[in-house]
Amino acid sequence: MKLANDPHLYTPITMRIIAKRDLCPDVRFFQMVPAGEFKQVKIDYKPGQFMMLSAFGAGEGPFSISSPPSRKGIIEFGIRKAGKVTEKLFTLRDGDTVGLRGPFGNGFPIEKMLGKDLIIVAGGLGVVPLRSLILYALDNRESFGRIIFIYGFKNVEEMLFNEVLLEMLDSDQIELYLTADKCEVKDDKYKGRICEGQVTGIFKDLKNIDPGRTVAAVCGPPVMYKFVVDKLLEFNIGKNNIFLSLERRMKCGVGKCGHCSIDYIYTCMEGPVFSYWDVIHMRDLI
Amino acid sequence: MRVYKISKQDEKKLFKVLEKFGEVWLPVKKGGKCTFSRIYSEDRLTFSQTEICNRPLLPLKKLLLPPEFNTLDFNAERYNRAEQNVPSRVVVGSHACDIHGVNILDKFYTTDFIDPFYRERRKKTIIIGTSCEPDEYCFCNKTNTNIIEEGYDLFFNDLGHYYLVWVGSSKGDDIIREGDDLFDENITDKIIGDFINWRKVNENFFTNDIDFYGVTDLMELKYNDNELWEYFGDKCLSCGQCTMVCPTCTCFNVIDDLEVNKNEGHRRRYWDSCMFKDYSMVAGGHNFRKTRAERLKLWYTHKLKAFIGQFGNPSCVGCGRCIVTCPVDINVYNVVSRLKGQEKELIRK
Amino acid sequence: MKDKPSLGVYSFTGCAGCQLAILDCEDQLVDIFSAANVRVFYEAMSNNDDDAKVDIALVEGSINTDEQQEELKAVREKAKILIAFGSCAHHGCVQAMANGDGKWEERFKKVYGDAEFTVAKPMETRPLHEFVKVDGWIPGCPPGASQMLKALTQLINGSPPTYTNSAVCLECKFKENECLLNKHIMCLGPLTMGGCGAPCPSQNMPCVGCWGIIDEANHASELKKLMEYGFSKEEILRRFRLFGGSDIVDKVSELLEAK
Repeated sequence: MKLANDPHLYTPITMRIIAKRDLCPDVRFFQMVPAGEFKQVKIDYKPGQFMMLSAFGAGEGPFSISSPPSRKGIIEFGIRKAGKVTEKLFTLRDGDTVGLRGPFGNGFPIEKMLGKDLIIVAGGLGVVPLRSLILYALDNRESFGRIIFIYGFKNVEEMLFNEVLLEMLDSDQIELYLTADKCEVKDDKYKGRICEGQVTGIFKDLKNIDPGRTVAAVCGPPVMYKFVVDKLLEFNIGKNNIFLSLERRMKCGVGKCGHCSIDYIYTCMEGPVFSYWDVIHMRDLI
Repeated sequence: MRVYKISKQDEKKLFKVLEKFGEVWLPVKKGGKCTFSRIYSEDRLTFSQTEICNRPLLPLKKLLLPPEFNTLDFNAERYNRAEQNVPSRVVVGSHACDIHGVNILDKFYTTDFIDPFYRERRKKTIIIGTSCEPDEYCFCNKTNTNIIEEGYDLFFNDLGHYYLVWVGSSKGDDIIREGDDLFDENITDKIIGDFINWRKVNENFFTNDIDFYGVTDLMELKYNDNELWEYFGDKCLSCGQCTMVCPTCTCFNVIDDLEVNKNEGHRRRYWDSCMFKDYSMVAGGHNFRKTRAERLKLWYTHKLKAFIGQFGNPSCVGCGRCIVTCPVDINVYNVVSRLKGQEKELIRK
Repeated sequence: MKDKPSLGVYSFTGCAGCQLAILDCEDQLVDIFSAANVRVFYEAMSNNDDDAKVDIALVEGSINTDEQQEELKAVREKAKILIAFGSCAHHGCVQAMANGDGKWEERFKKVYGDAEFTVAKPMETRPLHEFVKVDGWIPGCPPGASQMLKALTQLINGSPPTYTNSAVCLECKFKENECLLNKHIMCLGPLTMGGCGAPCPSQNMPCVGCWGIIDEANHASELKKLMEYGFSKEEILRRFRLFGGSDIVDKVSELLEAK
């Protein structure tokens, strides 16, 4: 953890990529560990926090952590090729290094989730930070009630973490719903297991939701939030128990560069996880 | 607080004293424009409110966090913080509004996380404020930033034949001790009378009739007044000059530059502007503030409202730089006027 | 150590000054030639390999004949990454200043009469991206050394070049210049892509827009302001067009209709 008065606030440590694989054509999964003189560095974080990753010569950008803090040592990211930094990251091979600062941001309020039922809603790449939360909850299964996970994607080819999710479908530890905007299933293993439609279409299938003991976590493209929140509010889930993880442009991660400002707050400091109550308070949050 | 008197005849002698504390800087007129510049001889040194030029084009922030600087040196294996080699500086001639601006920067850069680059330069900067004669664009009396109580090391009030000097810090006291024989601690009733009179006279210079009452509420209530924001959005050139000259604009961008044929590079940090199209744009192309109107609204939210939630006061210090700088007359005066449902505008001459 | 990328510098219609701008980087020239395997660069070398496949093609100049179109397509096929190098390639530059006025043939006849063109068929100036996929660009007439070296280095290291998101005014303010527009001088800084370091306004010369139009340029607002300062609409539009290239064509007709 960075100290508030660290003279190296903006200086990344070096991480080595130990493995990577493609989750879909333009999203790659990276596993990395502190390298060389930083080997002893312990990186503690919460699900929902993010890191600033530097790719040599291409720059620095914010990325959600995808690994759960319950599995120590290796930090994982799911990264979409979408710009300069990510293009450079996609050229890296195992053993290559990247720079890392963080973790930053508030993360999901685990303390408010303990003992509660969770409804976790992911759209597209939003599954990346939520994976951290889901795996954390599964690793501490006895500390949570029901775990309901709704994951929507454009088409089957863009479904991330598909193998582990297919396993989860058979698990009694988690109630998983997969849905694709366009569900053309070629592979037998997906047959009858993925619905067609948007994540909001799943809510009618959710039974026995107890709003008094339910906390929701949502992450997806900007257009998704409003519709999902409306569905969650129909279940009478408290506005301060609906948590949204938001994306913004960030250059520093520590509330100084200004790019992630919304009204009077900085997403990197007070977010990226906000409650729906915050959304009511603040202009232009979603 | 300690107060001293120094005769104007002795002001040049202070150059040798100040030099012991660092490079001496002063707003100087160069080719018609006023800019904070280093001075090398006592001839140019003055603390006079009529001689020091008003409103340097860039405020003090240009010395505390320069427009661009190198933050890191890196190679493929390692990132290293770049040495800043910051000189010690004594900056003479900051007006109350600009010192208020620095106080806001201090709060901003040293709350929660402390910006190491800011702190290093700030620590090495001695601020000697001077009194000023407001012009028609100044409105610090309306933003309560015309009187300064903290943030300076010394503050010179120009009372005609002599200065009345407030000591604002331990370093300021060190300067007084160093120039001991020039300062007089005997503040007579005559001097006190002079000061009270001078303050009254100075107050009368203000002609700017901007009315800040209720502006924070209006920012909130008229947030969705599209007509108002589009009126300004249609005019805005997205040139970013307003944010460069504003004493309390702090946004920066960061970019990595590589050296040709060397496996090393530098991470450069430079002033950014929320007026630029990609200010809120994320990788992949989604832009959270696509229109000029949205971006202007962010700026004015920040200046007139947001800082109150964060630090207790708005972040406009009434220096008037936006009024004299914006080529299409989008400025705090005109925005406040429209927020109040008025159409009167203050146009720079 | 990975293999050096190969580089080709190709030229179409223009003053060839962009190539010269590379040669002008005397202090870094050895570095450039050591970092990349330069296969084609007529202004700099005598042993050019025209058929070579290259990793990076820097293409300067605009397209003005059917033959050039074909040559450009051939370069595209040879190159992994094709960069529009300089204003001509990027948006047409000065030779495109009259684009879209519908009088090209008339002007052409005035100069060349009824002469027959047997080698190639001439046409109105077009930028590269109208014929082939352009992977990136380096602006400038000619590109400035610092930005060009930065872009070249990025390309050699496998990254696309970084673009400047700001108008000339940003760096103009870094240099603490007074705004020329505010002195009623016709400065196109607010409409023009920055990255040049604002050398002209720093010498009290107004920006003429040689790096091309920035995405967010608000021509209507600047036009209005300049007309308030007593410039005629015609002279302002002429200045907009000088380096506005083909990008300005639609904008100008829009502005002509506006009051």
